[in-house]
Formats: sequence, C-alpha cells, structure tokens
Amino acid sequence: MSNFKKVSALLIAMIMIISLAACSGSNNGKNDNGKNEGKGSTNQTDGNKAGDTSKFVKISYVVLGDKPKNGQFEKVLAEVNKRMKEKINAELEWKWVEWADWQTKYNLLLASGEAIDLITIGTDWLDTWGNAQRGAFMNLDDLLPEYAPQTWNSVPEEDWAESKYNGKIVLIPENDYTQWVNHGFFYRGDWAKEAGISEPIKDWQGIGKYLQYVKDNKEGVIPWDAVAATSTWGGYASSYTDQLELPISTGYLPVFTTKSFDEKFTVVSPVFEDTFLQFATLMKEWADKGYWREDVLNNKNDNRSALRAGLSGLDQHHTQTFGGLRVTMDKDQPGSELQMFPFARTGGNNLTELSITHGGTSVGAHSKNPERALMAYDLIRNDEEIYHLINYGLEGVQYEVKDGKRVQPEGYDEAKDAFYADFWGGRVDKFEIPSVTTWDQLETTLYAEYDKIKKPYPYGQFVFDKTPVEAELTAITQVTGEMGPAITYGKAGDPAQAVEQFRSKLKTAGYEKVMAELQRQMDAYKKLIEG
Amino acid sequence: METSIAEREPRQKLQQLKGGKLRRFWNNKTLLLMCLPAVAFFIIFAYLPMPGLYLAFINYNYSDGIFKSPFVAFDNFRFLVINGDLWRLSFNTVAYNLVFIILGNVLQIFVAILLNEIRRKWFKKITQTLMFLPHFISAVLIGLIAYNVLSYDYGLLNSVLESLGMEPVKTYSDPKIWPFIIVLTFLWQSTGYGSIIYFAAIMGLDNEIIEASEIDGANAFQRIIYIVLPWLKPTFIILMLFSLGGILKGNFGLFFNLVGANNTALYPTTDIIETYVFRSLMTNFNFSIGSAVSLYQSLFGFVVVLTANWLVKKASPENSLF
Repeated sequence: MSNFKKVSALLIAMIMIISLAACSGSNNGKNDNGKNEGKGSTNQTDGNKAGDTSKFVKISYVVLGDKPKNGQFEKVLAEVNKRMKEKINAELEWKWVEWADWQTKYNLLLASGEAIDLITIGTDWLDTWGNAQRGAFMNLDDLLPEYAPQTWNSVPEEDWAESKYNGKIVLIPENDYTQWVNHGFFYRGDWAKEAGISEPIKDWQGIGKYLQYVKDNKEGVIPWDAVAATSTWGGYASSYTDQLELPISTGYLPVFTTKSFDEKFTVVSPVFEDTFLQFATLMKEWADKGYWREDVLNNKNDNRSALRAGLSGLDQHHTQTFGGLRVTMDKDQPGSELQMFPFARTGGNNLTELSITHGGTSVGAHSKNPERALMAYDLIRNDEEIYHLINYGLEGVQYEVKDGKRVQPEGYDEAKDAFYADFWGGRVDKFEIPSVTTWDQLETTLYAEYDKIKKPYPYGQFVFDKTPVEAELTAITQVTGEMGPAITYGKAGDPAQAVEQFRSKLKTAGYEKVMAELQRQMDAYKKLIEG
Repeated sequence: METSIAEREPRQKLQQLKGGKLRRFWNNKTLLLMCLPAVAFFIIFAYLPMPGLYLAFINYNYSDGIFKSPFVAFDNFRFLVINGDLWRLSFNTVAYNLVFIILGNVLQIFVAILLNEIRRKWFKKITQTLMFLPHFISAVLIGLIAYNVLSYDYGLLNSVLESLGMEPVKTYSDPKIWPFIIVLTFLWQSTGYGSIIYFAAIMGLDNEIIEASEIDGANAFQRIIYIVLPWLKPTFIILMLFSLGGILKGNFGLFFNLVGANNTALYPTTDIIETYVFRSLMTNFNFSIGSAVSLYQSLFGFVVVLTANWLVKKASPENSLF
C-alpha cells in the first residue's frame, strides 16, 4: 500500500511537470516555428495550402453559455458534421464558456495561448478591442477573400471597416441581423392598469407611481426585488439626457459619454452633471419608500424568477429579453400583459442602432487551421441547411414550420428536446424563421417605435487605445465599484454628499487625464470619419 | 529517552550516522520519499512560476508572450497608489490577519489543551469532529448562511428580535459590527482544524514527564503552565512565522462572500487588498497589474517573515526557522 502511494505521488508529480512543460510549449509554439509544433492530433497537416482539404481536421468554436445536458446538441452537431465532413473534410467542435464567472473564463482562455480556431466576440460586452490589443486574434485580411468568399463578398466595405483593429481585420461582424439590446424596465400591464396607468409608461416618475401602487396593494410582493449587481444609472442617463453611450468600460457605472447625436465627438461625463444628483436623490427616495429590500446590496435572489412567480413587480433588461419573457409571462402569470419601458423613450434623442460588432466571430491567434476554420464559418453563415441546424436544431424534433413560423412539434418536451447552440457570431436575417416563443407584437410595438427614433451607430470604428491611461482607468473602475452600488440603490446616506464624494474620488483617480486622452482620440476619430 | 529523541529528530539521527552522503541518503530513503510530494509541490507551484513575476513589469501581450512584451518598469504599480487607498487597504489586511493569527492560535492552543484534559474518549471524539466540520464548509455557503441569519427583512436574527418585541437591526448597513462578524466566522471555521495540530503536538509529550510532575505534586494548572505550554512554544513559533508570510494576503473567499461584491456601505471596515483588486480588475482583466499587486504582497510578506525570524532568533535562537 505504502509503495503504491509513493509511486502514485511520483506519477502525479511527473504528470504535473510534463503538463506544465506542454503548456509553455504551446505558448511559444507560434514564436518558435511558425505552426505545426507537434502537439495534439489536429495539427499533423503540413501546410494547408489554398483550400487544400485533403487532411481531416477538427475546428473548435468557442461560444458563451451553459453546455446543454440533454444530448440533443450532440445529435444536431453530428448532423452538421456529416455535411461539414462531406464539404470541407472537417468537423466542428463546440467549446462552452459557461456563464458562471464567464468573463474570467473567456479572457483566461484567450490568455492561455490555447489553439482556438473560432471564437465568439463582442466589442461592447466581451472586451474584444482590449483582447485585440493584447494580441488574441489573428489578422484576417488575406485569409477572408480566399477561404470565406461568400462572407467576404456579402459584408459591405464599411462594415469591414468597423471590424478593424489598427487597420487589420480581426473579426467578422454580425452585421446582418436585427436585434435590439437597448435596456428598459419591464412592468406588469395588469397592475399598471389597476394603478390607473393606461398609457405606456414613458418616464421614471411613471415607474415610481407603479412601484408605489404595488407596494401599497400587493401583499407579499416586493415592488422590485432588485439585485445590486447591475446599475440603472446608464438607463437614467439615457432617459434624461441626449447623451450617447461609449464603448468604454468604467466598471459598475458608465462615466464617459458623448454630448448628443449632433455633437457626437464631444466627450462629456453625466456623472459630473446635475442629472447624476437627481438620479441619486430619486434612488434614495425609492429606497426609503421600500420599493426594494432593505438588504438590496446583499440580495442574491433571482429577480426574473421572482417576477415569473408573481413576487416581484419589475425587471430590467433589454428588448430582446423582453420579446421572450413576454411569452413566458403570459404562460406563468396569465393576463399579466408584461410591458416594457425602454429608457430611451423619455428623451427620444439617443437611441442608436446596435453596433454590428455586438456579436461576431474571430479566429484565435494560435489557431492551427485558420483556413479550414474560415471555410467552416463560411458554411455556417451561408449554407441555409447548416444554418438552420445550428440555430434551430433538427426539423421535426426541435421545430416545425407552420404558416411561416417556427412552432414546437407535437409531443415536444422542453427537458428532453430543448436545443440551443448559442451561436451569436454571424446570424443573418435572410435565414431567420420567426418563432412563436417570441412575442408576435414585438415588431409592431417596440420595433416600430424604435424605427421612428433610431439613429445609426456612430462609434463602430472607434477603438479606444487604453494604454496611456490604463492605471487611471483601472482606478476609476475601482471607484465606481466602490461607491456605485450604494448610490444606485439609495444606501449611501445623503445623496448630495455621496455624489460629491464620488466625484472627488473620481478626480483623484485620474478622471481628468482619461477625459483628456479620450477627447484627443475622439478628435482623431472625427477626422477619420469626416475626412 | 534515548530512542524517543532519535525518533523525533531525524536530523540528529542523520548527524549520528557515519559514512558518505550517498549512504545517508539511502538510509533515509523512506523519509525522503515522503518529502517528495511536498517538495514537488513547491517546485511546481512556487518556484517554477517565479519568472512569471516578470509580468508585473511588462505590458503583457498574448501573441508576443511573456518575454517579448514591452517592458514598462513600474507603470503597473501606479493604479495602487493613484487613489491613495493603499494605506487603508494594507492596514485593514494586516490588522485582520494579525487578529486572525493571534486570536486564532491562542484559541487553538486553548482548545487543544481542553481536549487533552478530557478523559472520556467518546466525548473527546465527538467534540473534535463537531469543531472540525466547519472547516469543510465553503465560503460561498457561509456567505449564504450569514445572509439568511442577518438579513433585515427575512433574517433569522431579526425574526427572533421582533418576536421578543425588540427593534430589528440593520446588520448589512452598519460597518462597525463587521470586524466582529468576520473575526467570529473565521474563528468558528478555523479553530477546530488548527487545534488538531496543537493537539498532535501535545500527544507527542512524553508521559513520563507528566507522571513525574504528578508525583512531585503539580496540579492540573501547574502542569499546563509549566509543561504543556512550553512544550507547544516551538510549534506556535513555527506556525506563527508561516502565517506571517501571508500577512498581506487576505482571506478573499471569506470577505467576498460575507460582505458581498456590492455592499459598498461596509467597505470602510471590510475592504482588503484582494477584494479591492478583484473589483478593479474584473472588468479590465489586466494580468500585469494583477501580478504587480501579488508581487507587492509577496515582497511585504517576505520582509515581515525575515523581520519576525530575526526577532525570534534574538529571543530564542533554537526556535528560529533559519
């Protein structure tokens, strides 16, 4: 027994050393010897020249989401791979970055130097420019025309221009897919009606009135079972100013915006304007009135589940979520008539279309088979059969088409048959089939409203180079994280004092320096756009 | 007596042996093999990654790798000092750790001695097990349990207070009581585990000494003060020196889960370096700045250990580490 222990300890130690060596090997593989450093089974090919598909390879695709557990995904992927094998002698392999702690896992995956072929990106939520700056992605300029010709030709020149970092294409945008991810409050239409609110709510006072009604009349319901992990400050700013959001993360609270659509190259900070004090005051008022829990800052409840169970009166997320949630709520709480108050409705001057790089696909810098990866991508995006398989599953099992709409087939069992692939890296409107699980009036109500006030997204090609102000930006992030939640949920004491303290802390953290640098780069961007 | 010393002190045994190094090596092969996993562990996880500390001085780029990324000297340390929070954070971290180390060890010794005095075997075993259990509860669960007890609207504590006709307390908005909550939780979690080490040390105490003292008429207190406590001194000093090395490393799991990521009202008394760094870097994901912080912590710990060891050497040379 003791001998066995000794030997196994030794073995473990050896395995560790070897795997460590292997890791560092893969890190340096690219620098040492171009490609094809002997490791793994996928890279035995000797130079994949111009569409050479003689060697079978496996292509990995990194997506965000929890791996499906009912086995349907594997079945569908097998179908996809049958076609992939036939057409380009390759197979796809899905790699899931699960939602728990996804930011860290996603970034670590890129940092690890692992050979990733295709990976989901998003400039506004996956820090794609930051990762591009850190050298995580491969330049695609030369590869695209040759290996993904259909995609290359279908994406217009100006959209490629928005996919460039330092003048090189580093991603393929999801430029042809309509979705709205502007945020707003979701409230129950039935309760609003009872409260005497017959018109759609168009400002925060209206929401306040609704919450007060719920507080007074709905026993056991928390008007808004808010969780402090996200702030509504950005929403308030888009309601009560004309300012536009910038794709620059300052952590918990957005600190930098631009003045308005007409003055879109003037950087301002709503935090230093009266709007912020008004926001802080209103939130303190809401907190004191008990619209959310006393312990809101430590609340770990799932507000959406509470809403669905009829225990919370309000939710906050984007239009796309609302489209699905409305249908779910009609089932869970019949007659609830869930409504959405999009933040941009109040002012109506700052609703921009979604950036085309909110979703997209990049090729990892260490990919062994970028050529075949792009060929596979070209098929996913442009082959209708494969597209439907990956996005909807098997016809007859996951869905049926009735009157031009996707419905669930007879005997469909959510637990057993549900399927999703979380492919958000290049969906296209022309292959989409509307589904009954999305609210059928979404287009005539919200989308129609948005179409009237929408503005083109102006910052598609703006890539903020953080290098000169990295330390300051980190310090600002820390300040927003330190004071933001308490201010957002009215737990910071006197709002005027808290706001003053917050502003002075931001200044110490280097707010002015970042502001100056941002304006400088924005001026350069203005020159680029206006010539 | 002779044999028992030889068993306890392998180093002395080594010195007694005649012959070449190889022979000594061979004679102690079992002991050396037993060391191997620990040695391998430290080589792999502590020494091999050391060149990675270079990360703290560069602007890390994934495709260039560690040694080709641009060198930026001390730029990565800047964010720590910009806000002027470094002092408060270091103070909080050090103060908490000092309390943890001192109170923790004192309590562990106390419990170990109590355990040793218990004569009923079944009672001793049950006590030990019950005290040991909290060690296995993860910080996430502790955070949840704490929330369910302390929460204002639905917490156990306030339900009890209200049923007694007393005012409910707003635990989660009062920074002053949190040092006590955190220290208590820490002690609850670590005492059982730590006392095992001291208990084991007491077990190693030669029974003949105890018997001799009893014949001489020493009572239980005298026995503890003059025999057991001095016997535990070397263990105490070594454990102390070990924990001092990490004095600037906070117990992230405990703080993060008890206080929560968003309860900024409690930060004045609960913010430590780890939670601060977590907050700053979660959205920006900058390895270099993260390494800079860890280097600062390690260097600080290194200096503290050297100082402490030097002090120990002055006071009782035979107990110092090196």
